[in-house]
Amino acid sequence: MLGIDDPQIWVVYILCVVSAIGCMIYGALNWNKGNEEEDVK
Amino acid sequence: MASSMVLGIAVLIYLMITFYLGWLGYKQTKSTDDFMVAGRKVNPFILALSYGAAFISTSAIIGFGGYAGAYGMGILWLVFMNIFVGIFIAFVVFGSRTRRMGLNLKAVTFPELLGKRFQSRFIQGFSGLLIAVFMPLYASSVLIGGARFMETALSIDYNTAVLLLTIITAAYVITGGLIAVMYTDAMQGTLMFIGMAILMVFTYAKLGGVTSAHLALTNLASLVPEAMAQQGHTGWTSMPAFGSPIWWTLVSTIILGVGVGVLAQPQLAVRFMTVKNTTSLKRAVLSGGPFIFMMVGVAYVVGALSNVYFFREKGMLSFDVAGGNIDKIMPEYINSAMPDLFVVFFMLTLLAAAMSTLSSQFHNMGTAIGHDLYREYLMRGKIGHTVNITKLGIAVTILLSVVLAYVLPAGIIARATAIFFGLCAAAFLPMYIGALFWKRMTREGAIASLVVGTFSSLAWLTFVHAKEATALGISQAIFGQPTLLTGTWTLVDPILVATPLSMIVGIVISFITKPISKDHIEKCFGK
Repeated sequence: MLGIDDPQIWVVYILCVVSAIGCMIYGALNWNKGNEEEDVK
Repeated sequence: MASSMVLGIAVLIYLMITFYLGWLGYKQTKSTDDFMVAGRKVNPFILALSYGAAFISTSAIIGFGGYAGAYGMGILWLVFMNIFVGIFIAFVVFGSRTRRMGLNLKAVTFPELLGKRFQSRFIQGFSGLLIAVFMPLYASSVLIGGARFMETALSIDYNTAVLLLTIITAAYVITGGLIAVMYTDAMQGTLMFIGMAILMVFTYAKLGGVTSAHLALTNLASLVPEAMAQQGHTGWTSMPAFGSPIWWTLVSTIILGVGVGVLAQPQLAVRFMTVKNTTSLKRAVLSGGPFIFMMVGVAYVVGALSNVYFFREKGMLSFDVAGGNIDKIMPEYINSAMPDLFVVFFMLTLLAAAMSTLSSQFHNMGTAIGHDLYREYLMRGKIGHTVNITKLGIAVTILLSVVLAYVLPAGIIARATAIFFGLCAAAFLPMYIGALFWKRMTREGAIASLVVGTFSSLAWLTFVHAKEATALGISQAIFGQPTLLTGTWTLVDPILVATPLSMIVGIVISFITKPISKDHIEKCFGK
């Protein structure tokens, strides 16, 4: 996979990419959620 | 010569922008809240970049990038930990509760949050003291890294570089407080992001694409030097042999130590209290995740792939090209593989990385002395001139960092980041988790956890963990042997021993002592 034999490495390589993209999706999905949260006075 | 002129101009422009942002921070700083927690209304994008830029120092890019060059891609597990634990868990799980509790208790520093949650001035004072004493160690290692880079890149004297870097950073931290720190961090973070993105694209393009670059690296496995193979090195695209010395260092110190330790870093945790609502924290995840990926992910992949480049160009491994000094792998690679103009830009990236980490350390050390130790612990909360004393604290701890940079042996400085991360994890993490998630944790439990975590971590690194113990030489001086235990124990990082110990003590003591009053718990957690 991706030129890497050891699954412990290619799995984490993919995990890094997936988690970075996951963060973007999470941030986008929650962009306007929870506005009812109390703001600082 | 042309490139050194370009570099000179680029540094000048960079410094002008830095001063402008510092001045903006100064203009906007009107109250203690502004100086300490940036007025609690920071934009999520600024938060994410500032958190990431403060988190990632030169040592993460150069030091750990070089480590990847020598030992391979196993360190990518740290990247995953940094994104998942350091960003996602930190912002979503810890951040939102930290922010709300900080607001409920009117806390402006990390030690104050813990101190007020457990109604203990001792916790706040002791935590402040711990930061004031040990963070200069971490700051001095960042300072040395930044100054060494300025020495080579701008060909100025090392001592002048230390002074310049310190004075410039101190100037905007002392005048502009956390607002200036976070604005400049965000600008520096943007520079870092662009620099690393270019580095990634160039490297993969040069080596013929993602898969073929990796494949070429995989095929180098047979070239692992005999001495390294005996320590557990199996190649650059595979994990070190399970249980080997390299495996223990990678997994216990680097992946777990730095990966988990980040949650209890006071200069990072305080940033959660700078935004106005939970939504801001969730939005910050959007830019925080990719930012960390571009910083450390790229640094480690490129560090490992530098072997392919050097093998093709010179028939040598990166470790040998760098003359056995892993800190030189990344600079050597960038200097020989990248176009001149990019070298200039990357120098700026590194300067930004050093300054953004330094500024948040300076700010945090200052608030630990001025606010936590002086005002809350010594003056019993008397208001007085907290901001001025904090500024004095910043100046004093900066001086201490500079002195440490000269006095301490190089071996200790190189270990400083790991020492500080490990100490924070053991001393603060169990108590911090308890503060946010376990209402039954008592003041006595928290104090016990703090004290046990601190001293067991210090004892382990002084007497058992070989890397620090031999560099410190205290065990040798007292007992006539470099470490008290032998074998695998000397490879196990303090974090794996001290943090669980601190956690167990905190839980046991909490169960046998009187719970904190219901009213106070309600005040901490809100309705």
